[in-house]
Formats: sequence, C-alpha cells, structure tokens
Amino acid sequence: MVESSRMASRGRAVVGESRHLLFSVAPGATWIVVFLVLPSLYLMAVAFMTNGPYGLPQMPLTLNSFEQLAGFGFLGWSPGNLYTLLRSLWQTFLATVLVVIVAYPIAYYITTCRIKWRAIMLLLVVVPSWTNQVIRTFGWMNLLAPGTPLSDLAQWLGFIPPNMGLYPSNFAVTLGLVYNFLPFMVLPLYAAFEKLDTAQVQAAQDLYASPLRAFWHAVFPQTLPGLLAGTVLVAIPAFGMYVIPELLGGGKGMMLGNLVANQFAGGSNWPLGAAGAILMLIATFIGLFAMRRIGKRLGGGEEVVI
Amino acid sequence: MKKRTLQRGLSAFWWLTLIFLYLPLAVVVFFSFNAANSAARFTGFSLRWYERLLGNEQIISAFWNSMVLAIVSAVLALVIGCLLGYGMYRHRHRKLGWLIVLIYLPIVLPDIVFGISEMAFFVSIHRYTGLLQPGLLTMIISHVTFQIPFVALIVYSRLVGLDPTLFEAAKDLYATPFKRAWHFLLPTIKPALISAFFLSFTLSIDDFVISFFTSGPESATLPIYIWGAIKKGVTPEINAIAALMIGAVAIAALMSLLFNRQGQR
Repeated sequence: MVESSRMASRGRAVVGESRHLLFSVAPGATWIVVFLVLPSLYLMAVAFMTNGPYGLPQMPLTLNSFEQLAGFGFLGWSPGNLYTLLRSLWQTFLATVLVVIVAYPIAYYITTCRIKWRAIMLLLVVVPSWTNQVIRTFGWMNLLAPGTPLSDLAQWLGFIPPNMGLYPSNFAVTLGLVYNFLPFMVLPLYAAFEKLDTAQVQAAQDLYASPLRAFWHAVFPQTLPGLLAGTVLVAIPAFGMYVIPELLGGGKGMMLGNLVANQFAGGSNWPLGAAGAILMLIATFIGLFAMRRIGKRLGGGEEVVI
Repeated sequence: MKKRTLQRGLSAFWWLTLIFLYLPLAVVVFFSFNAANSAARFTGFSLRWYERLLGNEQIISAFWNSMVLAIVSAVLALVIGCLLGYGMYRHRHRKLGWLIVLIYLPIVLPDIVFGISEMAFFVSIHRYTGLLQPGLLTMIISHVTFQIPFVALIVYSRLVGLDPTLFEAAKDLYATPFKRAWHFLLPTIKPALISAFFLSFTLSIDDFVISFFTSGPESATLPIYIWGAIKKGVTPEINAIAALMIGAVAIAALMSLLFNRQGQR
C-alpha cells in the first residue's frame, strides 16, 4: 500500500518534470527550430535547385549553383568568384593577425594599471562597438575620402595617385575590419592576462631567460586560450562580413558576404547565393571545430567554447 | 629602468589606440555641426542639419520603427529566453546536448547567412500562404530569434551561481510553483533579467544586416535609412542623425559606469 502510493507519487513527479520541460524549454526551442533551423535547411535546399526567372529557385535539383560559384558560367570559366573567395580568406587572415598585434599589448597594459581604472579602460575599448556598424563605417568613409588630411598625407607619401581617396580600397576594408573586431580580441586576452600566473614568469627570469624567451615560454602559453577564443570571435564574423566591404571596398574589394547578398538583394540568383552561404557555413563550422580541438589539447577547452 | 621604458611605450600605444577607436566617431559628430555640406572642410558652426532632421518624416518614422522593433522584440525574447534559461537550469542533469547546439546556433551563424535564410523563408511562405509579409513583424521574429540565446544564457548563469539550498528553502516556504516563481525566483534573478533586457535591446538597435534582409518597404529602421542614404550619396543629415545615435551610446556608457560604481560599493 505504502509502496504503491510512493510509486504513484514518483510517477507523478516524472510526469511533472516532463510537463515542466515542455513549458519551460519548449517555447524557446520551438522558436529557434521554426524560425532559424527550418529557414537554414530551406536555404541549403535552395542551393541545389535551379535558378528560375526573377532569380527564384525552381525544380529540378542540380549542382549548377556550385559550378557557378566556382566560376563556370554561360561564357565559360571566369576567375571573378574565386578572386572574391581568396580575397575573403586573405582579408580575414590579415585582419585577425593585425587585431592580435594591436590587442595583445593593450590587454596586457590594462592588467598593469590600477584595479579601479581597469573597468573604465575596458569600457573605453568596448564603447565604440556599441554604436551601429553602419555609422562606424560611415565615420571611416568620412576620414578616408578624397581631400581629407589622411588621404592628402597618403598622396604626399606617394601611396595613392593624386586626387584619389584612401577608400574605396582593400586597405580601407582591412582597416575597417581591424577597427570593428578589436574589442572582441581585447576582452578574452584581458581575461587571460588577468589570470596569468606570475610565478612562472618569475621562475623564468630567475633562470636567466631573456625577456623574449621568458615571454615565449612563460607568458604566451598561458594566454593561448584567450587568443583562441578571440580568434574565433574575430575570424568567423570577419569571413562573412557584408557591411564593411560593401561601403569601404568598392567593386574590387568585394568579399564572400557581398557575393552572397547580391544574389538576394538584386533578386538575381538565389541558388548561387545559397551555395555561397553553404560555403560560409562550412568555413564557420570548420573554424569552431578546429578551435575546440586545439583548445582541448591545451587543456583549456572550457574557456575556448564561446 | 628598462621596465619603465616598456611601460611608457605601452602607455603611448594605449593612447594611440584610443584615438584610433574614437576618431571616426568624433569626425561624424564634428561634421554634424558643419555649416557646409562637406565632410572635408569645416566652414562654420551650424545646427541646420539638426533642424532638417526634425522636418524629415522618413527619419522620424525610421526612429519609431527602430524603437518599436527593439522594445517589442526585447520583451518577447525576455519572456521566452527566461523560461528557456530556467528550463536549462532545472534539467541541467539530463542530456541536453541538442539544446546547447540549438542555443548556440543563432550566436555562431554569420549574420549574412542568418539574414538571407530568414528572408528566403519569409518570402517563400508569403508567396504560398500570403502570411508573414516582409515588414516589422518579420523583423521582430528574426530579432527575437537572435536575442533568445543571450537571455537564456544570462538567466542560466545567474541561476547556476545561486546556492542550491535556496531552492529547497523556497519549496518549504511557498506552496505553489507560481507563488515560488513570483516571490522567490523572479526577485532573485531580477538583476539578470534587467541586464538581459538591455542587452537584447542593444543587440536589436545595433543590428543592421538581419534587419536589412527581413524588412519591407515601410519598415526601414534608422540604420537601414542611413544605409540607403549613404548608398544613394545623399548624406547631409546623416552626420546629424548618426551623431545623435553616438550620443545615445555615450549616455548608455556613462550609465553603465555609474551602475558599476554602485555595484562596487
């Protein structure tokens, strides 16, 4: 009797737990499935469809869009799309390296300052990224346009021909990317520097390590998890960037994001755009997976998971 | 001696970086007061661009669209995300790996892929059913989708930080789950809810790409309006409206600084 009532109450508890799961988790999970997972799957399906009139997808299924992405069109092969792809990879690589070079000393410097200043300094680094990306990029357009002091200086130094501006150019895109992503690298690096075990550095110095070797063996490995997290936060969105190359790059500064967007904004070719999006997704997941693997090997796996 | 030169060098580098970070914003604000319609030469102080803003109906309507979008989406995301975060906490001992993947998906997906997925989906649904015409509604749906994970993760981390025995005590104190939620849970996670709401709001105001691809002809937000003006090359009032938005961010930054100070005390 007692046994059976206990069984019953446990049964009720299990039902209650399941119902609880249904009420708490289900609305959010369903929302994301319906409004993001389904649309993404639909987009992937579009990549395998035929481009109909007005750029809308049609049956039958083909691999046509991927051939177009590789540059095969009506008029034979052209390298335009491949250049765009290579440019995206190069810009992402360059911007990430430059962001690391700037963020590393900044993050370190903040940790050497008084504690009460640190929060304010971090805030100062982050605040510009609170303004809208379009406005920030517009600010750079103002700075780099023809006739501005920076453009005049570049002309005087002979970097650009007379009466030209520093934008539109690939240089402007790189600059815009570095500007945009700097805070994403400073924050994780700062977190890594703050936890730095200075005893290791002390030990290295006691053993007469040169400053460079002390840095390389005692400091750098400890900041690697932060560096990896920052790289994920910078490189993945940089590869899919749309606004900055569109405003600062011009026709010769186009990146994959613009190639994809143009197929939808102009309504010209959805399947081609979707194929580009799949490429971007693959790059994203390879990037995340690689970072996780490296992070786990370093033993700092937890921190690298963003 | 050596250390001091290093520190000096770092300090100089810090100030240079600050100039780099604030120069583009300063230029926008500076030229918003320019009498001439030029971003290269400053001819004199004037407020005429700000006056023109008030008369520009498109900008006013874009401002209200931005506000409605940010507030409605942040409220919806707060409710759904809070439930989700609580559910994640309550059932954290179960195997919910799929849920984690689902929650991180909107965060890791590149904006452009997110935006065009939604656009292709909404346009196709609209073509076959007549529902979900691109406009404010589709923008709200998309914004809620990228806000939910942030709210859920903030609420979840707040709950994990609590002493588990508190939940036992609350169980003893309050009879029904609703009373428990109202008198114990919600007041306890209130700071997390407030910061989640402001984060959602900011994410919405900050977004351009996803809004751009899910918007309709009548639902342009401020960033979309600015984008259109830049693309068309008609930019006289853009400096002024951009300067106002930068001012709003500066106020938000000051407020967060004050909150931080209070938190430390």
